[in-house]
Amino acid sequence: MVKYLAKRIFYIILTLFIVATVTFFLMKIMPGTPFANQQKLPPAQQAQLAAQYGLNKPVWEQYLLYLVGLLHGNFGVSYQFSNQPVSYLIGSRIWVSIQLGAEAMVVGVLLGLIIGAIGAIRAGSWVDTSATIVSILGVSIPSFVLAVLLQVYIGLDTRILPIAGWGGFEYTILPMLALAAQPLAETARFMRTEMVDVLNSDYIELAKAKGLSKYGVIYHHALRNSLIPIVTIVGPLAVNIMTGSMVVENIFSIPGIGDQFVKSIMTNDYPTIMGLTIVYCLMLCVVLLITDILYGIIDPRIRITDSK
Amino acid sequence: MADNSKQFSADDFDLLNQNDRSKLDDEKIAAPSLTFLQDSWRRLRKNKAAMIALVLLVILFVLSFGSGLLPLSPYNYQYSNYTNLPPKIPGIDINGFNGTIMQGGVRVNAYVQNHVPSNVYFLLGTDGLGRDLFARILYGTRISLTIAVVASFFDLAFGVVYGIISGWIGGRTDTIMQRIIEILLSIPNLVVMILFLVVLKPGLLPIILAIALTSWINMARLVRAETLELKEQEFVLAARTLGESSFKIAFKHLLPNLSSIIIINLMFTIPGAIFFEAFLAWIGIGVPSPAASLGTLISDGQKNFQFLPYQMWYPALVLVIIMLAFNILGDGLRDAFDPRSRR
Amino acid sequence: MKWNSFAKLGGVAAFAALVLAGCGSSNSFNGGSSKTLNWSISTELPTMDISKSTDLYSGQTINATGEGLLRYTGNSKVGPGVATSYKVSNGGKTWTFNLRKSQWSNGTPVTANDFVYSWQRTVTPKTASQYAYIFANIQNAAQISAGKMAPSKLGVKASGNNKLVVNLVKPQSYFKYMVAMSTFFPMNKAQVTKEGSKYGTNDASLLSNGPYVLKNWNSTKDSWYLSKNPKYWNAKNVKLSKINFTVIKDPSTALNSYNGNKIDYTTLNGVQVKQYKNKPGFENHAEASTFYMVMNQKKDPIFKSADARKAISLAIDKHHLVNTVLADGSLFPKGFVASQMITKNGTDFADAASVPEAVSYNMKQAKALWAKAEKATGQKSFNFNYVADDTTTSKNISQYVQNQLEQLPGVKVNNQNLPFANRLNRQTKGQFDITVAGWIADYPDPSDFLDLMTSKNSYNYGHWSNAQYDALVKKSESTDANNEAARWSDMVQAEKVLMKDQGVVPLYQQSLATLTRSNVKGVLFIPTSPEIDWTSAYMK
Repeated sequence: MVKYLAKRIFYIILTLFIVATVTFFLMKIMPGTPFANQQKLPPAQQAQLAAQYGLNKPVWEQYLLYLVGLLHGNFGVSYQFSNQPVSYLIGSRIWVSIQLGAEAMVVGVLLGLIIGAIGAIRAGSWVDTSATIVSILGVSIPSFVLAVLLQVYIGLDTRILPIAGWGGFEYTILPMLALAAQPLAETARFMRTEMVDVLNSDYIELAKAKGLSKYGVIYHHALRNSLIPIVTIVGPLAVNIMTGSMVVENIFSIPGIGDQFVKSIMTNDYPTIMGLTIVYCLMLCVVLLITDILYGIIDPRIRITDSK
Repeated sequence: MADNSKQFSADDFDLLNQNDRSKLDDEKIAAPSLTFLQDSWRRLRKNKAAMIALVLLVILFVLSFGSGLLPLSPYNYQYSNYTNLPPKIPGIDINGFNGTIMQGGVRVNAYVQNHVPSNVYFLLGTDGLGRDLFARILYGTRISLTIAVVASFFDLAFGVVYGIISGWIGGRTDTIMQRIIEILLSIPNLVVMILFLVVLKPGLLPIILAIALTSWINMARLVRAETLELKEQEFVLAARTLGESSFKIAFKHLLPNLSSIIIINLMFTIPGAIFFEAFLAWIGIGVPSPAASLGTLISDGQKNFQFLPYQMWYPALVLVIIMLAFNILGDGLRDAFDPRSRR
Repeated sequence: MKWNSFAKLGGVAAFAALVLAGCGSSNSFNGGSSKTLNWSISTELPTMDISKSTDLYSGQTINATGEGLLRYTGNSKVGPGVATSYKVSNGGKTWTFNLRKSQWSNGTPVTANDFVYSWQRTVTPKTASQYAYIFANIQNAAQISAGKMAPSKLGVKASGNNKLVVNLVKPQSYFKYMVAMSTFFPMNKAQVTKEGSKYGTNDASLLSNGPYVLKNWNSTKDSWYLSKNPKYWNAKNVKLSKINFTVIKDPSTALNSYNGNKIDYTTLNGVQVKQYKNKPGFENHAEASTFYMVMNQKKDPIFKSADARKAISLAIDKHHLVNTVLADGSLFPKGFVASQMITKNGTDFADAASVPEAVSYNMKQAKALWAKAEKATGQKSFNFNYVADDTTTSKNISQYVQNQLEQLPGVKVNNQNLPFANRLNRQTKGQFDITVAGWIADYPDPSDFLDLMTSKNSYNYGHWSNAQYDALVKKSESTDANNEAARWSDMVQAEKVLMKDQGVVPLYQQSLATLTRSNVKGVLFIPTSPEIDWTSAYMK
């Protein structure tokens, strides 16, 4: 296991390096400059500015300089927020996104598991059908529609919850619900399908025959064996949601990182794009590693370290 | 312990004549030999909900792809004097279908307000440029379905194969293939999308390419995970012991067992692709005007939702119907294909 | 047994629902308090460094926390700021400002040297200011920003603490407007040096010499406030004690927050304007900003013909565009130079230079003119790439324009709505047939617009060229620079030449549609940056 982990950590570093490299060169092909005032900047001044920021150097040289900076833990300085270090920009905003995303994941996955399990246990009944419809609705409504409906019908009309903004816990509820719809739907659907299969399998019949209670069968055998696809999808989904949704953050005026990411791409804010990509990639790799380890724990028949 | 003893007579031991022999064949209990697909189709046909969904989808496909043949105004024709008209169905006087709308807190008849002749009406209203929303929704459905079909194609053609290979071969191959997935997942696809916009002409193509680049990844990961689980199971071992080739095992034994996961994930790929396009529309780089997709229509409608709610609700309704139909059909297909649910 | 399992599963769900429902009870309304104004703003303030600020909103805030030599007091009007009076001499090339005794928010005096330092800093190449070009008419500025001369050689000198002398390259009658721009505000050298790279990134790094002080801010925050600056020289006329700012990016959210009493002010977009234009609190302010179509003469020879350009203009009904397609309060374009920006003897420049046929609509005539131009060129069919922004507004315009232009014989239009940087890149590289450009004036003088269309200007994307126009613009900047009447008439003539030759096709003039609570008074709107000034704002 230790050897496996060491190997995976090495791969994570390698992946980070490749992603940083590819993104860096892709960014450099994007048209336009990172200067906010580019529309009014006379060409001579623009060249002058580019030189000032080292953007007139050959791309490979910029790349090497960037790597050297990275090794010193320096993500560079944002172009949009003049003089603001990218690390500060990410640090001051990502926790908001992580908090919101984590809440949405917990609520979404938990409710999804329950709805999916109920659907599977009562497969074919009206309970099952309504559970299916709820989960389908969860993926059929775009988040910007759901967000606006929640804002108008709950925030504005009932005034029970804040319309927008970021403050205490009550500010997180509406955006969290808007974000939770997708994980809820996906978990519920996969849970139901897998559990129906599992409940039909021989070892469950055996467990029932042995006289285990229905609850015991479900809890000890069915639930656990239905988790493989859920673990697979939940990982990347969690990373996606926790790194912020531009749509939900925008509509609820939440100072998260998702909106910033899209904006930095639209304005060619190279250091911010790079910084966020690296953070995202790191989170994703770690989550995927955890997923692979979880496979083995959930289902001992799976041997990930085996190299046949 | 009932003893069903029976007295036999001598007749019982006579030889059967020719006639009786053919009768015996009639009594033989055996289903006609069916191929996997025939069997699945038979099962699917029995599932009423799935058949309704299938018919609904066929109708939507025909309507949206054949919308050019319907007696409708073209999706991009601008009735420049009839902008933002609410839905009006002649003969129905229910708010929401009679051409009235709330304006500044008062319900007004928008058709009268805009001096629309009484014989002119729009079933689902018009948009901000005076285009018939009904025609646009049909057209948008066509574009969205195209995007969905393309994404599903990549899911199946690429994701499934990639996942099976990665999970089945395992070892170093698996490691490398998984690292490639990590890299592809990590590169921001908005950057890729904008690059496609630069290199190619803005249109459907860069969007489809951007979706194609990443949509198959989840499928590949799911299939790999299931393959990892399945390949350790007894029936695979049995097949292997019997000397089946890996290729045959993958297609004859793994694929049917993977079908439920594949179908369920497909049901997420379709909205995923449609929503990715909708997200692009929301930030302004969706399908270029005057073309429309359900995504662009909903995102345009969402911006005016409080004042012109019908502009969001109708395209959203169509989207929900499509999703429901795909999902119910998906469930039916899964039940039909999956060998385990055959019991 | 079965019920038991359900009860447990259901219990978790019920608990989750309870947690969700239970947290909503404690919400607070902060709308009503009397001396606090709650303002909404559509974006964060990227920087408060005067040399680095480029966007409208940081300019607005710098204008509230700082003060230049002069201050905008209304449409193209400036009043005393740090300077109590000024004198123009040496044929319009030397401006001498007399400064009042005033203080920074930390009590140190504001001196002429603070201006010298600030301007030198912005022009220095190392500062990498994106607004350095605006100093170009000050002596030696161009050489300094090209790195060829020391910043200390800049044509601005302090003569004692309270006198500032500026030397210009050529006379510039509108220099008085420029010194009221936030880019020309003073900076305290000791403070800037002390803070180093942190200067302008958070409130503690700043010093104010204006009506308000910025609090609880750093450049990534989405709420902050302005509080009254007791050290401001005119503090007795500043009535508000506090202005709260909240960043709200989505226009519907902003309106909902306004209706939910969370904010006292919001801007409105298209459909919102239609719904609110007759309600109390609605106002529509013209901005010094024209959006216009440019036709690429280098790529498409047909656009060298004035007939073709006129046909394009005549095919577009600007009244319909403004009132129905946009319907967001935008104004009918009177010409290239924005209206309501500057007047002379009570006459708006846009009215003085008006050429009605250049902005009118006549499809029949358009078709005829286009056919004539086609004949002259010998080309029968055209496939035009129409490049514009990817905003909702811009897309709607594209679709309307496409629909109109395709009615001209043989014309097909491809809409290309692109992200801003992408769009700009295509324009500067000439990768378009027709494109839309928007210009927002930095200072209220027609020259800010007219310079754009001179033959050699890099913003003249379509390469329209007219010797008479170039001569008139040049004359207004040289021989007639000090003769106000002659200069005005040169510029009026130039605008007329441009419009008669249809060098550009004006589409609309942008405006700022706002909704403000009725008890908010005295907020000043002006057509150029900073657009909004809260100095004399108060609440009833």
